[in-house]
Amino acid sequence: MKTLTLSVALLLAAPPLAQAQFDMLLKGGHVIDPLNEINSARDVGIKDGTIARVAVNIPESEAEKVVDVSGLYVTPGLVDIHVHVYAGTGARRGYNGDSSVYPDGFTLRSGVTTVVDVGSSGWEQFEDFKDRVIDRSQTRVLAMLNIISAGMTSGDEEHDIREMDPEATARMAKKYPEMIVGVKSAHYRHPDWTSVERAVEAGRLADIPVMIDFGSNHPETRPLADLLTKKLRPGDIYTHCFSGNRDELISETGKINPGMFAGRQRGVYFDIGHGGGSFRWNVAVAALQQGFPPDSISTDLHIGSMNRGMQTMIRTVSKIYNLDVPLYDVIKMSTSNPARQIKRTDLGHLSEGAVADVAVFRDERGVYGFADSRGARLTGNKLLECELTLREGEVRWDLNGRAGVHWKDVRERRRPRR
Amino acid sequence: MKNHLLRPVFIGCLLTGSLFAQYDLLLKGGHLIDAKNEIDEAKDLAIQEGRIAAVADSIDPSRAAKVVDISGLYVTPGLVDIHVHVYAGTGMKNAFSGDNSVYPDGFSFRSGVTTMVDVGSSGWRNFPDFKQRVIDRARTRVLAMLNIVGRGMGGDPIEQNLDDMDAAATAKMAMQYPETIVGVKTAHYRSPEWIPVERAVEAGTKADIPVMVDFGSFLKERPFEELVTKKLRPGDMYTHTYLGRVPLLDEQGKPRPYLFEAQKRGVKFDVGHGAGSFWWFQAVPSVKNGFIADSISTDLHFRSMNGGMKNMANVMSKFLALGLPLKDVVRKSTWEPAKQIKRTELGHLSIGAVADVAVFRLDKGKFGFLDIRNARYEGDQLLTCELTLRDGRVMWGLNGRAGTPWEEVQTSGR
Repeated sequence: MKTLTLSVALLLAAPPLAQAQFDMLLKGGHVIDPLNEINSARDVGIKDGTIARVAVNIPESEAEKVVDVSGLYVTPGLVDIHVHVYAGTGARRGYNGDSSVYPDGFTLRSGVTTVVDVGSSGWEQFEDFKDRVIDRSQTRVLAMLNIISAGMTSGDEEHDIREMDPEATARMAKKYPEMIVGVKSAHYRHPDWTSVERAVEAGRLADIPVMIDFGSNHPETRPLADLLTKKLRPGDIYTHCFSGNRDELISETGKINPGMFAGRQRGVYFDIGHGGGSFRWNVAVAALQQGFPPDSISTDLHIGSMNRGMQTMIRTVSKIYNLDVPLYDVIKMSTSNPARQIKRTDLGHLSEGAVADVAVFRDERGVYGFADSRGARLTGNKLLECELTLREGEVRWDLNGRAGVHWKDVRERRRPRR
Repeated sequence: MKNHLLRPVFIGCLLTGSLFAQYDLLLKGGHLIDAKNEIDEAKDLAIQEGRIAAVADSIDPSRAAKVVDISGLYVTPGLVDIHVHVYAGTGMKNAFSGDNSVYPDGFSFRSGVTTMVDVGSSGWRNFPDFKQRVIDRARTRVLAMLNIVGRGMGGDPIEQNLDDMDAAATAKMAMQYPETIVGVKTAHYRSPEWIPVERAVEAGTKADIPVMVDFGSFLKERPFEELVTKKLRPGDMYTHTYLGRVPLLDEQGKPRPYLFEAQKRGVKFDVGHGAGSFWWFQAVPSVKNGFIADSISTDLHFRSMNGGMKNMANVMSKFLALGLPLKDVVRKSTWEPAKQIKRTELGHLSIGAVADVAVFRLDKGKFGFLDIRNARYEGDQLLTCELTLRDGRVMWGLNGRAGTPWEEVQTSGR
């Protein structure tokens, strides 16, 4: 009887969990949501894997779980539109194999919830890539198809125009519109425009953007300015924009190539694509000084960039942040901007009803060194660190256990048996 | 004009340095912790041709082609993580011989680890595939313990199949690759027999290598106490020390005496944190009352990497939070595990040793550390890896300390 009374009392005293309005409440943070032009203190309520409310001072009693994020920044999950994650095929040297990495060990710990694999697979291998990686990852993995049917093999195929089939590429893209968001051309070493033209043709057929890694520099036959002002369509993306490998910076004058400004005027987007060889401080510093910030910040994550200057998405974002770009802008360049570029406007923001892909960052002050892709170091005083990452409302990374429970408050579930 | 005059002199100095330098690289101004050589004090460390060339109170910078200032930081041997799963890429779902594994290089160097031991993802049947697929292609030094199950950690029913636990075939494969195979593993077994443990020990005895045991289900028919006090040989390892099911503590919350007996016998206890094997309610009273694991390891795999484990430096920081001195934490992550796998050429910074070196920053602040049940323990120190060398080459440089200020780097050319 006593027990019964007690349990009734407990029931009455228990919070009405079933009626909680939110599964989780991120309390006390500063929200940066560029699409919705929010840059101020807000609480974020999450329910059923979607953003349920963003408001000033949501009561803790309305949530089943409250995570204190005071002093931290709450942003949409980052969208990294340049990675290589077609790992596991055993192909040596190729980005459709050994040069790729599996995504989940690099994304979530860096606040990234969506990545775009750009051209590791072509139309021939896409379904293998989908089965092997995309369908098995916690990270949302989207893809651009390489215009090369065999994908990014790092071999002669990448320079063979017989491998470039716009119709077959567009057909595969249209078969998986929820995953294939663009067409990639990369690494092409010959002096002609074929690879760019075929990629654009495929993009036109499937109504998706193209992303160009401009390969070898051929200023006589295919100058950068012509690519940006004549060949690419508005909405297409030029990646490795601060590489310095293809006259992005005119070394004689120290000026950013006027074609870059003209291309931007037309609506071409400029993407970082840091990688193992595509980010130089002298180019980036000049670009920012001359009023040419990037549209999107991305890593070009692969086996050759992960342990060099690139390291992680959040350190790549911190690099641009240290070039005196406001935090709001670098978040925009890593969320709503790239989402718009790949026409996935369902991502990269915290609108009510949007998927609850959320990142929480600490903005640290100190002395930090940032190496570029040649090991040249810029010393800065700002560093972003990822504290918490949610994917569809689930905690996927929690650096300091903020979403955890104090260890003394966790009950032993199983008695050890001798 | 002034610049033009200075430049040749500057370049001249650099050339003189590199042409006549005795050392390739000098780590200057750090605090060195080397358990084997009982060093825990400020020392410079010089490297030549991939080997440790000098350790001294002060080494003249002019004797080195390159000098990296690491003042305020700790220099240690490259960490030896003796519990990982890196047999990735086979496409096998729900198996450590496949999707549950990760490739090593994206997790090792950034955490100061230069040597990893894959424990039992492969068995004698698929070790050659693991070797050609991962070991031979990794920049991390990857060693292996063979699973006593011939097909390795392929999930169930593969791992429960007693008929595929062949001690002779396992020992034979181990003896074929003595430079890579350092032990035998048994894991995940759920039935009451001792057979997997016995076969693993038999294979280990034949090949003269240690055994590491993940005890699977804890059953009254095969008591844990008997495992560590009778079944295992001195030098064998029990991993997942602070797992919830291990009978570590008595009713008063004190470590049971048999644990100390087992340690006295020479049985080694390994952390093997993983995604299910580190519980604060076990670790806190055990460590506070003197039952401390011999080696610190991650049990790195696709699930532990994003949970409470995170990386080797984080697991080490947990033991700092539990009150262990830094030098003990470093010893349990370098020299101690190297000895356990009988690879005594690793895990120290003796003159002539391979130049696998890690440099750490020890941050002070308020840090939270999760166990595998989302329970948080708070600490005030955090190890972060600043620099990692493998064979004397820079494999990780968090803050570009080994780089050059960008203004001094030539801007033209590819």
